[in-house]
Amino acid sequence: MSAILDRRAFLGSSLLVGAASIIAPDQALAGASPPGWALGVADIEADIAEAPITLVRGRAPTGFAGTLYRNGPAKFRRPGGAAGHWFDGDGLVRKFRVGDGKATLAARFVDTPKRRQETALNRMAMPGFGSPRGEGVSLSSPDDGNAANTAMLMAGGELLALWEAGSPARMDPETLATRGFKTFRDDLAHMPFLAHPRVQPDGVIWNIGSGGGKDCIVWKLNADGSLNKAEVIKLPRASYYHDFTATARHLVIVLQPWLQEAYKFPLSTGMVWRPEQGTQVLVIDKDDLSRRRIFELPAFSFFHLGDAWEEKDGTIRFDGAFEADPTFGQTSASALLRGVYIRAPRPMLTQVVLHPNGRTEMLASKIAAEFPTVDKRFAGIARRHTTHVTHYRDMPFAHGVGVWDWQRGRDDSFDFGDQHLVEEFVFAPKGSGEGDGWLVGTTLNLKVRATELHVFDAKRVAAGPLATWRAGIPLPHTFHGIFVGARG
Amino acid sequence: MTNFKMIIAAIALNIPAITAVCAADAPAKLEVAFTGIDVQKGAVMFGVYDSEDAYNKGKSMNGARVVADKADVAATIEGLPAGRYAIKAFHDIDGDGQMSSNPFGMPTEPFAFSNNAKGAMGPATWADAAFDLNAGGTKISITIK
Repeated sequence: MSAILDRRAFLGSSLLVGAASIIAPDQALAGASPPGWALGVADIEADIAEAPITLVRGRAPTGFAGTLYRNGPAKFRRPGGAAGHWFDGDGLVRKFRVGDGKATLAARFVDTPKRRQETALNRMAMPGFGSPRGEGVSLSSPDDGNAANTAMLMAGGELLALWEAGSPARMDPETLATRGFKTFRDDLAHMPFLAHPRVQPDGVIWNIGSGGGKDCIVWKLNADGSLNKAEVIKLPRASYYHDFTATARHLVIVLQPWLQEAYKFPLSTGMVWRPEQGTQVLVIDKDDLSRRRIFELPAFSFFHLGDAWEEKDGTIRFDGAFEADPTFGQTSASALLRGVYIRAPRPMLTQVVLHPNGRTEMLASKIAAEFPTVDKRFAGIARRHTTHVTHYRDMPFAHGVGVWDWQRGRDDSFDFGDQHLVEEFVFAPKGSGEGDGWLVGTTLNLKVRATELHVFDAKRVAAGPLATWRAGIPLPHTFHGIFVGARG
Repeated sequence: MTNFKMIIAAIALNIPAITAVCAADAPAKLEVAFTGIDVQKGAVMFGVYDSEDAYNKGKSMNGARVVADKADVAATIEGLPAGRYAIKAFHDIDGDGQMSSNPFGMPTEPFAFSNNAKGAMGPATWADAAFDLNAGGTKISITIK
């Protein structure tokens, strides 16, 4: 798709996707076998009780113990109708626990009003990012449509399943039972809370949420998970943002020219790509949200950013997975559910440099990469490394994991091969230096139809996993997770 | 999300005194039960509308405030002419007489409509919420949680 889209073409294509999405999957796939990768967006019908998973490679490294919580949509289709977008399936929280060299897996759907209503209706009907509103749904607040399917956060010992347009859902860290939505203060019920909070090394949590236009709420939580402050600010434009980032002193809000110009369902059909307006970066002082500065960059689209940092002279750096346009979110991610691959511009790992004099730079790694994660002990402070998925083929999803070194300009990566869909990897610390530790993450092995858990030495990724455990079942591709070390 | 602000506007009740209406002929009794009250404090506020126009403009012709000290509470309005009506209600948990909202204008107190009609990012329509009040009286039940 060309970088510049006129409004009519853009909306036209969105409407077509909308119409196509109401075709039941069995109709869409009639006469053709679903491609192998479709296992990545398959349906899970029931919760999965905790059970051991099998060590199939290597062994657990000494000292590696803890729990990997991962979240992602795992129910997209019901007899009466299907969701219209990958982002709109029901959140299934997976718990991989490793200890004494052994591993277990449990998984449980977040028990949301959305899931309850759709179960009763026997069809997917709740409107969302790429799904229309079906008949008969009750939508008293955004939390009625909350899929709780995007990410996890441990805040003061409370495990939260995150979405982006509503409240976090509270989960029991042991049983994964849902305990209702989190309300930080009565008057802040149902306020949006993005799936990508930025956690400082001291445990203080920052987050933002979109009011659907230029209004944005800034959240600051104390390390114990309690509310420190919540303040509504005005953004310079009504941009779509799934993520933001932060340095030790500043919030960094990247405002791509994918603008919310109308409010309708599916939500993405009200968003228009305006590349001629470029991308803006809003930098806000954490201590005084009225102190702000705007930087200008060439147009790019994005979902995910790495943590930012600041140099002595005030230069701010951060990286992210940038796309030439929002084709993936707008069309490709809908088509996935119908077993159709629509090639979108590759996400490219790119570093943004904001100089104190207002000059900006974009440094290309030339690595196609998504799901950037970092050693969280260095969140907001200078760092070298960004973990990411990579090794794309001419099909959806990545096939490898890597660690990019911004200092040496090198990627240390491992390719699992065509038969693995590789999900986000997160860092589990061991020593004290940046990168001292392990990478832990999951893949979906298409050949044996099973989800696998892998642990790498974070400094020797190309050497392959130190340990791999295989579950007895395939679970669909997840979005984001957290690792909670056994020692806390 | 902007449409949530419509709910606030739509449910902001202008409740006249309960005795305001005293129909001359064929007065009928409307009994309204509110069920499923989770937070048992404050009051359920509701307005009664006698036409689509009044419903859409938020001009209630009657209504009441019912103390919400139990999971199920009820109110009776007497003296209404038989006819077609709809009700908008909210649970004023904090007792400030207003339907509370968060900073983005989304309701933070429970609300409901007669027939348990549901809106989608906005109030339920008159067509979905309207019911008949018979000359012999009518009992309705609204779940508000």
